[in-house]
Amino acid sequence: MDQLSDDELDHAAEEDSDKEDQDLDKMFGAWLGELDKLTKSLDDGKPEKLRKAPLRQETNLANFSYRFSMYNINEALNQGDPVDLDALMADLCSIEQELSSIGKPNSGTSRLPPPGEAKLRQRPPAGHSVSGHGRPLASNFSLDDITAQLEQASLSMDEAAQQSSAGAVSDHEVRSLGRSPRSSINSASAGSMDSLDMEKPPRPPEVDGLQQPAPQLPSQDTIAVCLQEEQAAKLKAEKIRVALEKIKEAQVKKLVIRVHMSDESSKTMMVDERQTVRQVLDSLLDKSHCGYSPDWSLVETITELQMERIFEDHENLVENLLNWTRDSHNKLMFTERIEKYALFKNPQNYLLGRKETSEMADRNKEALLEECFCGSSVSVPEMEGVLWLKEDGKKSWKKRYFLLRASGIYYVPKGKAKASRDLVCFLQLDHVNVYHGQDYRSKYKAPTDYCLALKHPQIQKKSQYIKYLCCDDVRTLHQWVNGIRIAKYGKQLYMNYQEAMKRTEAAYDWSSLSSSSIKSGSSSSSLPESHSNHSTQSDSGVSDSTCSSHARSQSVVSSIFSEAWKRGTQMEESSKVRVSP
Amino acid sequence: MAVWDLTVAVEELGPEAPPLSISVTSDLHIGGVILKIVEKTQMKKDWSDHALWWEQKQQWLLRPAWTLDKCGIHADARLTFTPQHKPLRLGLPNGMTVRLRACFSGPTFRTVMGICKLLSMRHPEELSLLRPVEEKKKKKDKEAQEEVYDLTGVPLTSGSVPNLYNGMPAHFADSPQTEAVYKMLSISQPPPAPEVIAKMYRPASVVDKAHIHSRWLDSSRSLMQQGIQENDRLWLRFKYYTFHELEPKYDAVRLTQLYEQARWAILLEDIDCTEEEMMLFGALQYHINKVSQSEPQAMMSCPAMDDLDSALQSLEVKMEGESSSMDMLETMTTAPELHDYLKIFRPKRLTLKGYKQYWFVFKDASISYFKSKEEGFGEPIQKMDLKGCEVAGDVNVAGQKFCIKLLIPSPEGMNEVYLRCENEQQYSRWMAACRLAAKGKSLADSSFSSEVKNIQAFLSMQHSNPGAASAQNDENINTHSLVSPRYHKKYKPKQLTPRILEAYQNVAQLSLTDAILRFLQIWQALPDFGVSFFVVRFKGSRKDEVLGIAPNRLIRIDLGVGDVVKTWRYNNMRQWNVNWDIRQVAIEFDGNVNIAFGCVTADCKIVHEYIGGYIFMSTRSREQSDTLNEELFHKLTGGHEAL
Repeated sequence: MDQLSDDELDHAAEEDSDKEDQDLDKMFGAWLGELDKLTKSLDDGKPEKLRKAPLRQETNLANFSYRFSMYNINEALNQGDPVDLDALMADLCSIEQELSSIGKPNSGTSRLPPPGEAKLRQRPPAGHSVSGHGRPLASNFSLDDITAQLEQASLSMDEAAQQSSAGAVSDHEVRSLGRSPRSSINSASAGSMDSLDMEKPPRPPEVDGLQQPAPQLPSQDTIAVCLQEEQAAKLKAEKIRVALEKIKEAQVKKLVIRVHMSDESSKTMMVDERQTVRQVLDSLLDKSHCGYSPDWSLVETITELQMERIFEDHENLVENLLNWTRDSHNKLMFTERIEKYALFKNPQNYLLGRKETSEMADRNKEALLEECFCGSSVSVPEMEGVLWLKEDGKKSWKKRYFLLRASGIYYVPKGKAKASRDLVCFLQLDHVNVYHGQDYRSKYKAPTDYCLALKHPQIQKKSQYIKYLCCDDVRTLHQWVNGIRIAKYGKQLYMNYQEAMKRTEAAYDWSSLSSSSIKSGSSSSSLPESHSNHSTQSDSGVSDSTCSSHARSQSVVSSIFSEAWKRGTQMEESSKVRVSP
Repeated sequence: MAVWDLTVAVEELGPEAPPLSISVTSDLHIGGVILKIVEKTQMKKDWSDHALWWEQKQQWLLRPAWTLDKCGIHADARLTFTPQHKPLRLGLPNGMTVRLRACFSGPTFRTVMGICKLLSMRHPEELSLLRPVEEKKKKKDKEAQEEVYDLTGVPLTSGSVPNLYNGMPAHFADSPQTEAVYKMLSISQPPPAPEVIAKMYRPASVVDKAHIHSRWLDSSRSLMQQGIQENDRLWLRFKYYTFHELEPKYDAVRLTQLYEQARWAILLEDIDCTEEEMMLFGALQYHINKVSQSEPQAMMSCPAMDDLDSALQSLEVKMEGESSSMDMLETMTTAPELHDYLKIFRPKRLTLKGYKQYWFVFKDASISYFKSKEEGFGEPIQKMDLKGCEVAGDVNVAGQKFCIKLLIPSPEGMNEVYLRCENEQQYSRWMAACRLAAKGKSLADSSFSSEVKNIQAFLSMQHSNPGAASAQNDENINTHSLVSPRYHKKYKPKQLTPRILEAYQNVAQLSLTDAILRFLQIWQALPDFGVSFFVVRFKGSRKDEVLGIAPNRLIRIDLGVGDVVKTWRYNNMRQWNVNWDIRQVAIEFDGNVNIAFGCVTADCKIVHEYIGGYIFMSTRSREQSDTLNEELFHKLTGGHEAL
């Protein structure tokens, strides 16, 4: 079966786009049929049938893994919320549109970005079939390889073709492309080198059309002669590329997830396996119109273990959710959490290893963050102190002196001083994530309620491999959790924050567009300086102050930062009062 | 105006020759004096590098327009007419000695700039010179043996951009000798023999570490002024631990030397680290050594050309193969697999059954096992998905023990599984497969074969007889060479090898540059990184304490207990100044915090320069990395002399 599908893939790639259109249309029809069934089964009140839907389409082009916590889907279906289905429907419609646009590729005028960028680029999905299997097909790996390979090959050939044909037109142009024809070709070939190095399996037949120009590339004369062949190759490369995109789309795994909102309601949405938490957050924010703040988070709650974790923005959502078991009661929440980026709003409370909260001037905050995250290595805050450790498999908690280092968490063995060489490694952070424990005082008889847990993301049930630590106060807890995050993610964490702030800023820009016409008269003439003054004084929020200035100045940006920080502190203060939810 | 005689010694006339005596008047300027000396010697040579050195005052007379009167020179002055650039023996961070011509007349800061330009290292402001630690019971013959790389013949280039030739700066490409020097500079040295490490001086306490810092030369004065003579030995070291823009493309020498300095700091326990960290450092050293041995010609600069050839080759192979497309489909869809009879042991089940033999099949990223080979096509007894699992080896070559320890995550927890292989070959293949699978890669991944080779190479280290390990070659390293002497006592090489191997699996795929950068990163992430210690006496305190000067902060440390008492950050620093009369450094921080201290182990100029130096380093911006603001450096570090 798998072989067959590969065969067809290759086959399909060589066919004209018209034919593929039909195929895809057919497939999409099947999809809609599926959706009908889903709705029906919903009406019947027998959601279990869902999973027994036809597993595979005849075309076999698509390979869509559909997996979801049964508990979650049951709950969602029992609520019978029609809005959810509407949302899904909208998703499907957008897919259809994208499909048809792929079916008619534009005529090769646009150049692809380099391979690195290509990965980042969001590609619309092409087709799906619902399958009950949670696991990807066995052939996925080789198929992925082929795809990557093909893309590389076509890309580099195309580049070479373009450059060499330019050479045929005029010498001058060649020089503008690269120092010499030879060097420009080198660079193109170097692009393909990676893929060639990568794996041994031979190339699929698509590439053979490109064989002829390749050996002749080095000489410029020959290039001029076989200009026509180049163009043919170019066309072919374009075709291959279109085919490749389709193969890729077909490979993409999708997941229907249920997201709990802060107001007890829930949303069902589809995420694709390539999406980062940030991307999912963005689309949730777009849909829910809840105002933009960097604090919006996706929080994973592991009900059985009474622990939760804020997903980091750069993490892959699907990958994380696939760790859930089938009947998991875990929840995914979409909610505002000030602790997500409190570290960056008040770095002095986390990075300096001080016992007490303090204020700091904004410029010093920035300098501190710069110093901590922007050097050649990230400096992990010097966290150390006595924590309670729950002993493996026992109910008792005992005190130990723990230290955090970039290489992991250590403790001081009994009767030793805390010289580095005598430290005992408690845990290295590569394989574990840090979770907040909830109400461990009653669950595990913890000394306080300020607990954190460290575990491999795949562990979902009680296990001796989960480590529980308990802090004396909430401040220590937050310092440790953030320290561990820094040690684990390093600079990525700061980049996430900056990205989130950028979005916030952009969101303010957009929201301001409507109001700018009213206010522009007064503020467009005023200096950036006065902007920032205004914003720090006003209590009403940031959007007033930033709305009208089209050319963003540094001071305006920093005023947003300062405002955000201010709010961060305020909220932090308020959160201290109500600790447990 | 009265004419009087001035005596000037000229080295070129020979050591026996009496000093020249020239008649001068007080309003004669220095340039005129030099002209008279040159005429008097009647020697025809290039005198342009020569200048006058005033011995009693220990200073150079470098301003040709100043008159003798203005300089304050009278008839009793003893002057020497001597070259400003003299040979110097320079101990490099990698332990090698290079002999080169350095400037003895300019401020040391500028001398270091010149040296770094010659050695093609960027950012000379991070380095400085210090007097070497005297080695005890040094024998004369041993010193004679010491290999000295000579660069005195190389002219100091005036152009600012070092042009590359054959992958090295042009001034190294002149002769095979200089090329060898460049190789020594840019390629890390093989691990030292354990005895060498054990014999070297190791600071035992914070006070010892503090004493080293009393040896730094004063950056604002010249070498001559600090009593450095021709052919003296000095150390060149990275002094300020803020490394601006490490760029492998331009920093081959800088990166290598930095790595060497870091490596020695670890090996000699100049900086403290945990056992786990030490093993990782060991693994990285092993890897860096191995990779730099295997690709000595492909300098860090451009490996692309070689790769291009191989890429073109494989392209051709690919083209030839396209005819048999059906075969290819076959190979494409049938993923490679491993199968063997192995023994398995699962300690979790509380049975004492021990290892049991089954037929194992490794496919994609999972292991299945069956009762026997014949049943290999049916349902397996169990299938283990290895993605995200932890893999560790438990190997004893002498005892023929080849175990793979797997920690496989599952919703219920981690499953511990031991696989026992028959021999090295089997072990290295299965181990490599497990490692790849743990990272989510399949056997088809191109790194499989290199991974197998890596494991085999590492295992071969266990074959070696530890006693004979001093005879080193690249395949055969005593693991004691990779760790500090403390661990020589704690572990035998046999015990150390598996520990390092464990750490090695996470770094084995790194390229040379990446491995060096990783080493530096882990070094920089150590809590004590970059702290230079000084014993000081705080104002109002009766006992000696330790002041740690780090790139971003000052640390007050209790000398007895070693605990950090207080930390001040440069960010909050208002101003600092030195009272040169009582040699006391006073610093004011935000919030009206004032501290003052006198220095015990080092001159307060050194402490002052350290602090000022770090402030200077923080003023460097990313945009204008090439221009060095020398004036600002002296302003921040020079003290009263510079102003």
